[in-house]
Amino acid sequence: MPGYDRTYSAALRADPRLSRFDPLSHIIFFDDFDNGLQGWTALIGNYEKSLNSMLPPYRDLRPPMLSNATMWDTGSAGALDGTYAMKLATRAEAGGLAVAVKRATWRVQGPIQLEAYVTFKPEATELELSERDVRAFGVLFDLQDAERRVMPHLRYLNAQAGAPVARWQYKKDREALEDIGASGKTRSHFHLAPTGWLEAPGDPQPLCYNEIATKQNWHYLKVGFDLASMSFLSFRCNDRVYDVSQIAPMVMPAMANLWCMLNTVFWVETDLDKRAFLYVDSVLLSGEWS
Amino acid sequence: MMRHSHTAVVERNRVWKGTFETEPYEAAWAGEAIFFVRTLEASGPAADVHARVQISPDGMYWCDEGARVPLRGEPGVAFGRLRHFGHYLRLVGELPEGAEIRVVVYLSLKE
Repeated sequence: MPGYDRTYSAALRADPRLSRFDPLSHIIFFDDFDNGLQGWTALIGNYEKSLNSMLPPYRDLRPPMLSNATMWDTGSAGALDGTYAMKLATRAEAGGLAVAVKRATWRVQGPIQLEAYVTFKPEATELELSERDVRAFGVLFDLQDAERRVMPHLRYLNAQAGAPVARWQYKKDREALEDIGASGKTRSHFHLAPTGWLEAPGDPQPLCYNEIATKQNWHYLKVGFDLASMSFLSFRCNDRVYDVSQIAPMVMPAMANLWCMLNTVFWVETDLDKRAFLYVDSVLLSGEWS
Repeated sequence: MMRHSHTAVVERNRVWKGTFETEPYEAAWAGEAIFFVRTLEASGPAADVHARVQISPDGMYWCDEGARVPLRGEPGVAFGRLRHFGHYLRLVGELPEGAEIRVVVYLSLKE
């Protein structure tokens, strides 16, 4: 990789917190949530004059919190590294979503790469395995260059209507763009809607759920995306490397006030009237430039 | 060392009537907290009602902490403060028949 010299590589390997990542030449941010939420915040829909003008699915996206993953039966599990992880928790309502976003901008229109260690569980309200209770979790970028707003979406559909799925999916078709308010300046589209998801190539990928609802194992994610061609460069979950040649992002004309946007989003969705949790131990966004 | 702090919006533009409860929020890292309840609009006999702070070790089984937050029966904000609360926090309460308030609830946490 250009710019990836031996000194940089050695420095990464020498730091136990970074040596489990494979970043590009520049680290844009590295958050391990032992020092707060570090810029990750709740997602809200656009509105004008009144909160009631917001599209309904955006009105109650649940916010992130810091968690030491405390279980009723075994106490605090902590994070993969350190004590705290970022936790997203849905309401106990089927289809409920919890979402966290970190907002930045890009300076070089080249490769970026997101890496993260995550895990998901339902709330342990039943003494049952409950492995089909979390519907999905996902990660997306929200990007804009001079011509296009581009939104690469990836989600792990764990289960749907109680049936196991265990597949990664992407979404390229846009949801309807609706005007908000009367100024003509504000629009909104609910891109996390359950419609339009397509299967990533390959077989299902069952993830380590473990054997009761209070045991959780961390998973590694890596998403590479090229800001120049606005296309996927790579996608990896644990041991599985996906062919991204057929995985496309959502694309729409550029919007006002979003120039050079580089937002990253995590979310989780519940399949039942039971809370679903996504924990993010750490997340590293890197970019390639000289 | 500067102390960490975080404010979570645990309810936004939500209507409370009858019994209500906020979602569990983890605050194990924090040493002090304030629940702010902002009333956006109200109708019926919503004054002189208090929400109760509850704490929980696991987010599922709850007990009263003792702190209370007065609810405003007109637009405005009220608060309740607490310390040494352990892990999960939420607000619960009950509005009398015919009372309804639309609220924004903030949980302001500090190390």
